[in-house]
Amino acid sequence: MQVIYQEGESLLHRLNPLSKVVAVVPVLLFVALTTDPWLPLAFTALASAVIVGPARISPGTFWRLQAPLTISLLVFLILYPFMVRAELFDHTPVVLRLGPLALYQGAVLAGMAAVLRVYAMFLLSLIFMLTTEISDFIRAMVQQWRFPYRLGYGILAAFHFMPLLQEEFRLIQAAHRIRGIETHGGVRVHIERLRRYLIPLLTSAIRRAERTALAMESRAFGALKQRSYFRRFRFSRADYLFILCFWLLCLLVIALFLLNGWMGPLSFTKEL
Amino acid sequence: MSETRTALIEIEDLTVKYPGRRVPALEHLQLQLRAGETALLLGPSGSGKSTLALTFNGLIPHSIGKLQSGHVRVTGLDTRQTTVATLAQRVGILFQDPEAQFVMFTVEDEIAFGLENLCFSPDEMERRISESLRLVGLTELRYRRVEQLSGGEKQRVALAALLALEPEILVFDEPTANLDPQGTREVFNLLRRCKETGRYTIVLIEHRLDELMDLVERMVVLGKRGEVIINGEPREVLRTHLSTLQELGVWVPQVARLAHALQHHGCSLEPFPLTLSEAVEALKGRRALSAGQQEPSAPTTSTAVHNDGHQRFSASPPTRSEPDQGEAAIEVCSLSYRAAGRQVLQDISLAIPRGALLALVGANGAGKTTLAQHLIGVLQPPRGRVRLLGRDITTISARELTRHVGYVFQNPEHQFITEAVEDEVAYGLRVMGLPATEVQERTRALLERFNLLSLARASPFTLSHGEKRRLSVATMLAMGQEILILDEPTFGQDEYSATALLELLWQLHDDYARYVPGSHLRPVCGRHESWQAALLRDASSPLRSRGAAGRGASDAAPAGSASAPAWLVRSAHPGGAM
Ligand SMILES: Nc1ncnc2c1ncn2[C@@H]1O[C@H](COP(=O)(O)OP(=O)(O)O)[C@@H](O)[C@H]1O
Ligand SMILES: [Mg+2]
Repeated sequence: MQVIYQEGESLLHRLNPLSKVVAVVPVLLFVALTTDPWLPLAFTALASAVIVGPARISPGTFWRLQAPLTISLLVFLILYPFMVRAELFDHTPVVLRLGPLALYQGAVLAGMAAVLRVYAMFLLSLIFMLTTEISDFIRAMVQQWRFPYRLGYGILAAFHFMPLLQEEFRLIQAAHRIRGIETHGGVRVHIERLRRYLIPLLTSAIRRAERTALAMESRAFGALKQRSYFRRFRFSRADYLFILCFWLLCLLVIALFLLNGWMGPLSFTKEL
Repeated sequence: MSETRTALIEIEDLTVKYPGRRVPALEHLQLQLRAGETALLLGPSGSGKSTLALTFNGLIPHSIGKLQSGHVRVTGLDTRQTTVATLAQRVGILFQDPEAQFVMFTVEDEIAFGLENLCFSPDEMERRISESLRLVGLTELRYRRVEQLSGGEKQRVALAALLALEPEILVFDEPTANLDPQGTREVFNLLRRCKETGRYTIVLIEHRLDELMDLVERMVVLGKRGEVIINGEPREVLRTHLSTLQELGVWVPQVARLAHALQHHGCSLEPFPLTLSEAVEALKGRRALSAGQQEPSAPTTSTAVHNDGHQRFSASPPTRSEPDQGEAAIEVCSLSYRAAGRQVLQDISLAIPRGALLALVGANGAGKTTLAQHLIGVLQPPRGRVRLLGRDITTISARELTRHVGYVFQNPEHQFITEAVEDEVAYGLRVMGLPATEVQERTRALLERFNLLSLARASPFTLSHGEKRRLSVATMLAMGQEILILDEPTFGQDEYSATALLELLWQLHDDYARYVPGSHLRPVCGRHESWQAALLRDASSPLRSRGAAGRGASDAAPAGSASAPAWLVRSAHPGGAM
């Protein structure tokens, strides 16, 4: 989406959107399986390197975009050892004792593993999200992966709505405040207020959708079974090369961990 | 096509119905348009103009609506038997809302979209994209993202996307309704260019047509039931049917009104003028004939304000009527505002005396709404920048503020919070804690005044646009605020409801209240003689106050273009205390 996509001309920007999906998704799944903190940490570093390196995202922008998640994960990291069931980790050494509370090494490590896993997965998907325009992605899916084109272009048109609806919501909020609507109160007041927002919001969304549909059909959208394409999306040599290099790099990291015995077991179900 | 001036669009006995509607949108409609002709389609809102346009390209009946009787032939093809794909290459419709027409994100992709739907080859697409961009003069914007374009540019892109399909018929369905004067001018220029190529048959649905009358070769007027009631050559139509048009509530060229008004006073212009320059010629001719007779003057005021108002008025400070001592209703003191890295307001200062009626005028995005939102606490000004009724706005609680300032949003729907018209008005009164009987009485009185009594139990969302607007003003007046701000109150309304609303405002103002209407509608009618320009700014630079109302506007910079936005202040007499 426009909120997170960063315009640019980098190597990664120019790649086919789908090649980035193909490259990143298997790695993402693999990271989801890890249970130790160190492998996700390595992938965090790898993803960051790709983002500020070949994707040419400025470190400042990168930092700003990932900061909200980092902060919430840090909070989680601090709270986790105290919230987890103690009997899971009471066989590991105590790192710190605060009155009745004991901080077990095992709990700290498990917390780090959970946090880093989420963070690594987030950064890996950022490689895709920061460098791929949503319209390119959908068009590539339509062209190469037989995604139904009516649905795809419908979604594209809907993306134009998002900022408009946001703006609309803000306006309605202000308008209601000026009417003297109660702004404080409990959950019921809150729900009632949201319900009031909904009617004007839906009314205008529907009207806008109707208009867009008419404008699209006036330009023969959906009139024929087939469509031709002005810009063809296909995999070029650069795309294959990127997938290959990215996978090799990841395999290298994994091999390094395996050979040195740093990697914990892989698991779908992790006990917390 | 082969030979010009044969019927290109033939409509016979057409009746169109939308599902779920009792009455047809078009009824027994009969119309023929010749190839190469430019026709102006007029009618009050809801009369079926847009519906008629959709029958040209086959969306009716192929996508929506039903042809209950009759048929439509476009370039000899019966639309019932022709696919939308074929018709899309004969008829292009430019719609009102530039935002709602876009599917893709860049100009190039957007133009390619229609071509892709029709399976053109990439080479052919390339040729047509560059050709249509050249036609609308946007070649250098080819790789731009559409959301970065101005309103006028968006409409030009939308038109380029239609031209790429190489239609013979172009329909413009109120393409400037959402545009500011600059954008309107761009679209009109383009329309002129399309006409000059001689390639297109043009159907124009447009409210603000003064500048276009010289292009129009035929006027078709739809009545309230969706039937053709007038169809003829514009000069004849305006000469003989002006009162019918005005009764219907459709916009009429100002010049035609002038001519009629003059005629009424025994001064008929020959030939009947359609444009300003024709009127000037006709008047000159008359002067030569009857030198020494009195010159007509007053009725041109409203046009003059628009066309050269800044030169006329900026030299003299606004004359204010005497009794506005005491603190100003609104006082803004060098207010600046930045949003999204852009200076939206820069060093605005102005004082609006109690009882003033002020119009805030400027291009889209000039900061009218932003400034207004600072006056009602939607945006928070820093301390000491905005004073309302003598108090710093930051010291007034939100709740109290609503009791002093009413604000009518651009889209009235935003403000509706109940399920019935009467509750809508009563809501504010109840919040004030008035006894039930008084609430009821005052609600009735207001509904009556705003001509909404018969709709008291209807849902606000089912009203017509004009009724919604009246209701939103009524709800704001219910609480009796001293200051009322209206954001583009006549936006998107037909002449009838626009005039009715403005009349109502003048009347209310004369009675008691004070208003700050912001509008990019140029002065429309009658009682604008005392509008004065107080501040001017260049359309491309951020809104900057030069001379503020009440401080004299002698330093107002002369702006270059005719539509250079200006603050217009109507000196008004403060009414009795509320
Ligand atoms: N999609 C629709 N469904 C149902 N009724 C519609 C639809 N579009 C228009 N109408 C109705 O048809 C009538 C004609 O509308 P329209 O063609 O939009 O008029 P105009 O363009 O002259 O304002 C109106 O009464 C309107 O409410
Ligand atoms: Mg319409």
